[in-house]
Amino acid sequence: MKRVWKFLSSVKLAIVLIILLAVSSIVGTLIPQGRSAVEYTARYGGSLAGIFDALRLTRLFRSPWFLALLSLFVANTVVCTVTRFAPKWRRAFRQATEGDPKSVLSMRSSCRFRLPLDLDAARGSVERALRRRRYVLSRSLHGDKAVIQARKRRLGWFGSDVVHIGLLVILAGGFTSGLASRRTQLSLSNGQTTAVPGASFELRLDKFETEYYPQGGVKDWKSTVSVLDGGARVRAGTVEVNEPLTYHGVSFYQQGYGWTWDGARLVLEIRAPGDAASSRTVTLKAGERVPVEGVPGVTQVSVRSFVPDFVIGQGNQVQSRSDEPNNPAALVEAWKGEERVYSGWVFAKFPEFGQGHGTGGPSPRDANKIAVVLKDYTGAAYSVIEAAKDPGATVIWIGCALVTLGLFLAFYWPPREIRVVLETAQGRVDLAAGGQASKSRDAFQAEFDEIFASIRRPE
Amino acid sequence: MTESTLFTLAFALYVLSLVVYFAGLFARRDRWAGGGLALAVLGFAAQTAALIMRTVSSGHAPFTNMFESLSFLAWAMVLALIVFGRTSRVPRLGPYLMLIVVALDALASSPLMPKGATPLVPALQSYWLWLHVSVTLLGEAFFAVAFVSSLLYLAAGDEEKKVRLDALAYRAVAVGFPLFTLGGLVFGMVWAYRAWGSYWSWDPKEVWSLITWFVFALYLHTRIVMGWKGKRSAFVAVIGFLAALFTYFGVNYLLAGLHSYA
Repeated sequence: MKRVWKFLSSVKLAIVLIILLAVSSIVGTLIPQGRSAVEYTARYGGSLAGIFDALRLTRLFRSPWFLALLSLFVANTVVCTVTRFAPKWRRAFRQATEGDPKSVLSMRSSCRFRLPLDLDAARGSVERALRRRRYVLSRSLHGDKAVIQARKRRLGWFGSDVVHIGLLVILAGGFTSGLASRRTQLSLSNGQTTAVPGASFELRLDKFETEYYPQGGVKDWKSTVSVLDGGARVRAGTVEVNEPLTYHGVSFYQQGYGWTWDGARLVLEIRAPGDAASSRTVTLKAGERVPVEGVPGVTQVSVRSFVPDFVIGQGNQVQSRSDEPNNPAALVEAWKGEERVYSGWVFAKFPEFGQGHGTGGPSPRDANKIAVVLKDYTGAAYSVIEAAKDPGATVIWIGCALVTLGLFLAFYWPPREIRVVLETAQGRVDLAAGGQASKSRDAFQAEFDEIFASIRRPE
Repeated sequence: MTESTLFTLAFALYVLSLVVYFAGLFARRDRWAGGGLALAVLGFAAQTAALIMRTVSSGHAPFTNMFESLSFLAWAMVLALIVFGRTSRVPRLGPYLMLIVVALDALASSPLMPKGATPLVPALQSYWLWLHVSVTLLGEAFFAVAFVSSLLYLAAGDEEKKVRLDALAYRAVAVGFPLFTLGGLVFGMVWAYRAWGSYWSWDPKEVWSLITWFVFALYLHTRIVMGWKGKRSAFVAVIGFLAALFTYFGVNYLLAGLHSYA
């Protein structure tokens, strides 16, 4: 037990662990994490991929050996912090004890001289000078001897402990998140309501908007949402990138968006070529066939299919490159009774193509009989919102605050300590003083010199 | 004066400062270092004005692409030089640090870097952009001071100079480490949580800033608790700065991840 304790309290262990954690982190960035087995085999070959998998290098940060390393790190940090705490506490807060001038003079900064005063007056003068520099004093008196202990920025001694406790809190938070966090992606179109997994309430998307900069480019995605509990609206608000909405521990994040073109409403303009007066506008969905009146030689029009991002793919097949409306196109057919008089793709962004150049399907008998333009198309953009519940996050923020506070205490709030021993000798007082600072020793030496110069030669 | 004139003026002043510094070094005129520092301070003032103008005109923090973040890093390094330049009694710090500053500014103004203030994609529209990037780069500027003084340490022969260089490297790490932790890790986590709903994703950029943090934690533990000094400490500080550089540049070009802005 004693040996285990000694092993865990060693700084060498801490250093070895830091190096091991750093090296395994490097490996974790060189091998992409969490991909499929197929991808690893394609990338590294079967045998190497097998080794990586056996060593859990492909899910390194969740692997048993990485977690074991972290556990050892936790044990090491706990033991080191505990064993170092008591001596530090005594150093910062114990009362001044019997002072030996020799030990005082062995401190990093020191001086000794004789004051032509009695003990009380000398003590008063020393204490005033130290208080003026904001030192906190404690003293002990033994007849013809006085010991004064002066310290300032005492919390600085505990900076590293606060950092270590903060790190433990962060790891506890990470552990909590790993076990208890839940995140689900919700795809919602306007007006749609969906149950929030793991919660008793529902989320309704009231409106989804994409804002653009005047010069192009997306400025923001914004979902106006309502939280419904038992059918009643209990919370309304917006979810934007960087501006989540939180309700009862569940946060909603704007993750992305998508387009759906099922049942998209299309607006077509149909006319006889060169005859503006015959122009008619119809609104329909893909798969629908609607009557048209007033266009010579046409009684009905239909749309066989619609794609938002037209491209000719492999084997001359029409495909949609994406769900974005980059090149919306409709395959339009026109009928006179049951006779098809027109068939062709029309493009919203290239209206001049809508003159009956058929792609696929039988060629139109009389292509020049009519002209078709795809005037408008309305698909529905849907919003992708992530619902996340992470009880570890609060713990993480407490840990982060502690680590930051501790670091600034340790490096920006260095403690200083001065000890003074006064002894009466032949009606005068012998003063011996020593002091030390953990950082900025030059500045401390200057302060030390000034303090004792002012005691030696009071104005 | 326009913003780009001011940037050019700052760059010119930095180059002049570099020339004066090195001239002083080769001519063995220690007093010329004062002139080098003064020119660097003037350049710093010009660049500060340029950064403010860019912020006002674009309406967002001046570090959203490589050009902006590089030139901010150069600015932060001049600030670190102003902090340590006079008190460290290391005459070589100025010339070599300004060499890096000029190199960064030259890289920033090379045609490879896009310069225009572009509208921000939604993920970057947050005041955490300010806090995260500025504090991180400020921390890294102090790591650069530690890097320069550690390299000088490894090259120096004179024992008295070595003691000063060693002390300067430690002081720079002591100032930079809390800043880097706060800006790079803590603010980064807070922002990631707001933007993505997850404070830590083991993204390569995140992991590399953690690796950088580990290296400097190693520097501090070996030094404070185990009493390492001099050569071994200097090596660790050099590795630490190289890790910070890799986090800043290397990850973007060599490892794919979420953090694809700068």
